[in-house]
Amino acid sequence: MNLNLLSWIIFLPIIGIIVIAVLPKPGQKTVKWIALSFALASFLISIAMFWMFDRSGSAIGHMQFEEKIAWIPAINAYYHLGVDGLSIPLVILMTFLGVVSVLVSWKIQLRPKEYFIWILLLESSILGVFCSLDLILFFLFWELELIPMYFLISIWGSGRKEYAANKYLIYTLVGSSFMLAGILSTYFITHTFDLTALAGISITSSFIPLTVLFFLLIVGFAIKLPVFPLHTWLPDAHTNAPTAASVILAGALLKMGGYGMIRLCVSMLPQIAVQYAPVMCTLAVIGVVYGAAVTMRQTDLKRLIAYSSVSHMGYVLLGIFALNQVSLAGASLQMFSHGVITGLLFAMVGLVYDKTHTRDLNNLSGLARQMPIIVVVFSIAGLASLGLPGTVGFIAEFITFAGSFASITIAGMKIFTLIAVTGVVVTAGYMLWMLQRVFYGYPLDKYNGVKDADAVEMISTFSFVAVIMAVGIYPAVLTNVINMGVAPIARLIGM
Amino acid sequence: MLEQFGYVGIFLLIATGFTVLIPLLPKLFKLMGLIPGKKTAAKLVQYECGMQTIGKTWVQFNFRYYYFAVLFVLLDMLTIFLYPWAVNIKDLGVGGLVAVGIFLVILAVGYIYAWRKGALQWK
Amino acid sequence: MLIDEMKYITPEISLLCFALLIVVVDLFVTRKGVLPILSVIGALVAAFFTVGLWGNGGISAFNNMIAIDQFGLFFKLLILASLVLVVMASNKYVLKFEKFQGEYYAVLMLSAIGLMLLVSAVNLITIYVSLELSSISLYALVSFLKDKASSEAGLKYLILGAVASAILLYGMALTFGLTGSTGLTAIADYFRTSSTASPLLLTGLVLIIAGFGFKIASVPFQLWVPDVYEGAPTPITAYLSVASKAAGFAVITRILMTAFGQPDWLHAEWAIIIAVLAALTMTVGNVTALVQTNIKRLFGYSSIAQAGYLMVGLAAMGMATQGNADIRSGIIFFLFSYTLTNLGAFIAIIAISNKIDSDQIADYTGMGKRSPLLAGALTLFLVSLTGLPPTAGLIAKIYIFNGAVDQGLLWLVVIAVINSVISAFYYFRVVKVMWMGEPASQDKVTSSWPEWTALAVCCIMVVIIGVAPGAFVGLTQAAVKMFGI
Repeated sequence: MNLNLLSWIIFLPIIGIIVIAVLPKPGQKTVKWIALSFALASFLISIAMFWMFDRSGSAIGHMQFEEKIAWIPAINAYYHLGVDGLSIPLVILMTFLGVVSVLVSWKIQLRPKEYFIWILLLESSILGVFCSLDLILFFLFWELELIPMYFLISIWGSGRKEYAANKYLIYTLVGSSFMLAGILSTYFITHTFDLTALAGISITSSFIPLTVLFFLLIVGFAIKLPVFPLHTWLPDAHTNAPTAASVILAGALLKMGGYGMIRLCVSMLPQIAVQYAPVMCTLAVIGVVYGAAVTMRQTDLKRLIAYSSVSHMGYVLLGIFALNQVSLAGASLQMFSHGVITGLLFAMVGLVYDKTHTRDLNNLSGLARQMPIIVVVFSIAGLASLGLPGTVGFIAEFITFAGSFASITIAGMKIFTLIAVTGVVVTAGYMLWMLQRVFYGYPLDKYNGVKDADAVEMISTFSFVAVIMAVGIYPAVLTNVINMGVAPIARLIGM
Repeated sequence: MLEQFGYVGIFLLIATGFTVLIPLLPKLFKLMGLIPGKKTAAKLVQYECGMQTIGKTWVQFNFRYYYFAVLFVLLDMLTIFLYPWAVNIKDLGVGGLVAVGIFLVILAVGYIYAWRKGALQWK
Repeated sequence: MLIDEMKYITPEISLLCFALLIVVVDLFVTRKGVLPILSVIGALVAAFFTVGLWGNGGISAFNNMIAIDQFGLFFKLLILASLVLVVMASNKYVLKFEKFQGEYYAVLMLSAIGLMLLVSAVNLITIYVSLELSSISLYALVSFLKDKASSEAGLKYLILGAVASAILLYGMALTFGLTGSTGLTAIADYFRTSSTASPLLLTGLVLIIAGFGFKIASVPFQLWVPDVYEGAPTPITAYLSVASKAAGFAVITRILMTAFGQPDWLHAEWAIIIAVLAALTMTVGNVTALVQTNIKRLFGYSSIAQAGYLMVGLAAMGMATQGNADIRSGIIFFLFSYTLTNLGAFIAIIAISNKIDSDQIADYTGMGKRSPLLAGALTLFLVSLTGLPPTAGLIAKIYIFNGAVDQGLLWLVVIAVINSVISAFYYFRVVKVMWMGEPASQDKVTSSWPEWTALAVCCIMVVIIGVAPGAFVGLTQAAVKMFGI
């Protein structure tokens, strides 16, 4: 039975775009409801797919829900979709964030029609990246994501929005150009664009050194993740993007980097990955510590969360290049966990900004009196972010560190891990400090009139909390699936 | 190949020789005593035949002369192609007639154009 | 027989008939709206004849002067398509030279005839003659506005074009002198039996590349582009940037492949020249485009850069032994999608400039509010020129770069992709101006239905090629069939 579920998941938002676009002068409400219903439909299908996902041992190492049609025969490119344990949590994450980001932007006033078109296109393109099993298709979706994000930041953003949008565009384009060169070289060496065939293929090349190929491919992912010296676009983009774009950016878009690294760099060139793992781990540790240190200094709420992302994505990089099955699983779960936690944090910052019209820590104080619900949810997000047991953050960080500490693939992994763990301590520092400054202390009179979260806002934020707690209490729901995805990759590395 | 270029070479030689020869001829004739060597004012003028120029050389011509010159070229084209066709009219047959017909139509379009655009009027 | 072979040039003949008809009709009819309709009908009739010749793969007519092959026929269709789109886009623009509408359409069609002959010519003589036919028509068209900028552009184009023609002719003369033939296949026969390159012959080859370098605007023959593009009437700028460039690439591909494609020592000679020129062309085009404030100049430099990407394909073609057919189809595919994209962009620019009467990028501020559809379409084309999905531009780039990597030109591809990043700066500057910032006036900018139709066709095609390129790739693969190979 072939229901083409993946195609439906990817293209339902696009159908939504078409519906919104062809409606002559739709009201604001109509647009929102259309966007919501298509995002929701996509989400429900992805949940159904997760339900139907074959978890038996025989399914390990196989793609599921595959679809394959010839697309550009001249260069052997296929429309080839499929998910395995590695990608399905990210697909669910994205469809979930798609629904929530529509809810988060429920109050948008400026050009709502275009706004929701871009949000839906963003959702489609990111889903496409996670589902593609053909390098050209992967690249197409990878590039497609740029356009909606560019417009979302530059039209609906705030502050230096045009600067931020351009910076984002150029950084990503630089990365993807090298990636294109890498993809084409891969094709020249192996004569296939098929990701399933490329995983574990033994590549030898007299054409270019495999190291060069590895770095051509990884630059794009490293920019997206972001890895330490290439991260400077992220604070600008996050700070100036509208709330929903920040949610998707932090929640799903950064994960494209980590996913790409595992799927392409590690699976395809495991030997090179082992060889350069110390370099990548050093960068990861620098990212964790540097990111956390810089976060301490931020006074802008959004910028603070943005820098904390740099620090937390360092764990992902560490987990990936510890190159051990447990650490890879940890990195994958960390991607999911960071997606929901930081997504929620950005949504909460957006709420606070909506009510108080400021994001400056120095101007905020004692909001706990005025907005109790927001305080509770924000605190849960903050605590999840610093890895409180019972939340998904704890599970993810624990597995990552346990895996990388135990890794014997490369030397000195224990030291890297120990340094990286200090990041958790610093996270606790800035998160608690931030919560204390914003919500506790003396209530300010000028915020007496602000309202607490309304029904729509509660639905969106509570659903985040539900996911964070649910996976935190019963992580096996995801880890079982993720393990199926990373097991074959860990086998490739031979550890 | 070389032979064909050879013809061009001979042609070039003759052409050069001819241009060199013409100015030298009067000198030659004078030496031979065929012509008298008297210099008069009229003979020393560079432009020997025709009338003496009156006024300055920078004269403004009416630009309509230009139109007529162009139209004349058109007419010239007609002769260049029609004459050889007329000579070989029997050999060329119907195909030739059709070709010349097309040629005339194209030229006629030019004339109609000139007429409608007022190029034939002098005012 | 000569008469029997006339059927092979029916597209050109029918187009000529319509051009003459337009001149005559213009003289007697006061409602000039009939003229563009006649031009479109003429182009469609010519396209009909062209399609009728399809499948007649690889024969030559008129004593090896003209070849009827799918390569040439494809480009004829492309030229006719751009002719139709340019005519539709000129609908309102021609009011700027109201008295000369008939001449405008007729000369435009004459230049199309020249280009159509150019893409099917297989003899240096026919190549030169048809090149001149199209060029002379274009000199006139460029200066059609008769104002200062337009006349200057026309004069510049004429003088530099004449120099380029002379260079080309010199190259052809050297080639003829050494190989003893002007037919491309006969020249190829000569090379098959020779084993060394005489310096004079290489000089001839370089001069031919230089002569066509002018036509396709490759560095260092690109200096005319910005001035001519800026001064010329905008529809003619569009026509120059697509039809003329596509034909230039077609003929240089044909010459290099047919006459200089064999043996191995020969095509390696020109491949490296073109590879270096390609790197220079796209870099110069992109870097200079960064500082432009006039949209027509910007597109001038952008078209230089795009020519650079195409030359990557040409260089790859030279690297390949036996003239890899996939690479050639990559070049054709790139030209196809570039034609639609650039033409679409120019149609939007024409529609906007008709209303605001300015080509300054700054005056496009807030165009997203004044005309969301035009601004949206222009954005789509700019996205395609940058090479981002879901548009034709990305697929074309992947296709052409794929061929280049295949031939070991990774260094050139890396330069090309870095250039794509640079190009994003100036393409997105226009996008930014249109969608952000407040408009100078609240007047809506609208357009006429022929312009809308042309724009819609380009938009739909660009997206379809970007999403499902399979069928079009198949078409371009059929179009690589070239006479004499």
